[in-house]
Amino acid sequence: MQTIHRNPNVMWREEADALARVQEALDRGDEVEETGTSVLFSGGVMLSLNFLGTEIWKLCDGRTMDGIVAELLPQFDVEEAVLREDVQAFLDELAAKGFITYAE
Amino acid sequence: MQNEIVLEAPLTINWAINNSCNFACRHCYSRTDTHEEIPRDVLLACLEKVAKAGVFSVNFGGGEPLLHSGLLEIARHASGLGLRVSMNSNGWLIDRETARALRDAGFTKVGISIDSHISEIHDQFRGVAGSHGRAVAALGHLAEAGITTSISTVICRINHTAIDDLVIFAREQRAGQLNFHNFKCSGLGLSHKDELDLTPGEWQEFYRRALAAKEREKGLDISLDDPIIALLGARDAGSLVKGSVCGKLSLNIKANGDMTPCGFIPIVIGNIVRDDLKQVWRDSPVLEKMRNKKATGKCSGCSKYEDCLGGCSARALALTGDLNSPDPHCWA
Repeated sequence: MQTIHRNPNVMWREEADALARVQEALDRGDEVEETGTSVLFSGGVMLSLNFLGTEIWKLCDGRTMDGIVAELLPQFDVEEAVLREDVQAFLDELAAKGFITYAE
Repeated sequence: MQNEIVLEAPLTINWAINNSCNFACRHCYSRTDTHEEIPRDVLLACLEKVAKAGVFSVNFGGGEPLLHSGLLEIARHASGLGLRVSMNSNGWLIDRETARALRDAGFTKVGISIDSHISEIHDQFRGVAGSHGRAVAALGHLAEAGITTSISTVICRINHTAIDDLVIFAREQRAGQLNFHNFKCSGLGLSHKDELDLTPGEWQEFYRRALAAKEREKGLDISLDDPIIALLGARDAGSLVKGSVCGKLSLNIKANGDMTPCGFIPIVIGNIVRDDLKQVWRDSPVLEKMRNKKATGKCSGCSKYEDCLGGCSARALALTGDLNSPDPHCWA
């Protein structure tokens, strides 16, 4: 079974103020897709991730794809197939940049 | 899932932990600074503030940081707090034993200043005979200790046409990165501006050739930290924001704890000993001005302004008195 791992050389942090604003917006039912809540930095490349991206990133701790989707599904109002597709696309992008690795 | 973000703290801090130096460089920005230094215990506490704010990395400089008797302890403390630790040095004091000690203290990367592939030119510029040889030896010792090395070259009149030679030299020294730093008119750099700085046309020619070398050379990371290269339709891979990174991604701390937007902008916006880093980062009117520059003079109407944002604010300030002025190196 393929597991997913954050590259330990990536430096990252969540931005507390942005996260608080997003959580307030979520409570109001507002869109938060465009707001960054974390920043990742490695090898001269900086990424800013929104709330969902950050939650996925935090789950790249050796879990499988199924494990990540199972963890996220109760948190987001979305069909499992759609979520799975979005997560896979995002992980592939992170892998291409060297921010995560897949392991068997 | 990637977005714009307002950072709540710098990603990296350039920290001049001392102003003592064993060299007499013609372009030194800190020689005229105070020699007042933060007491070691206070400095260690300040590092904890920095780590707590979420800063990723600290790059120690000076002065010559190896002349600070507490460097290893300070680096070890920073590293233990989870900060990525690096340093810029002239290399004079780095022998095999020191390189190993630096590695053990947590240094992952050390940049060595070398301004010419020709030893006599470097020695004359740095003011110390034999400095080129010691710098080259330092690169070897650091690599042997497993520390990533880079060569930092301040581009000015002594070396601006020697790009290819500098690239060959960097490859011979097995440096992973060659940093071409643009000359700043700060400190002694301002006093020696007429002797060392290039004309806008010469900067344009330098960057044309440096960008060609960067494109051509594989396996050697050539870094150009000058926002003005946007005029040539290029952005350095390391440039993560438009315009200068100073005050947007990075902050400078001086030996006495004063915080400035960068090492070349002598405007104090706070002090790390007494002030809250995140609050200064968020509320400083100087940083706000640097993050929201307005096109003035010839920048108005320039099609490249959106990417260049007026170039280097430090140079603009030094030569015009206003951070917002067009970069005096601009050839447009």
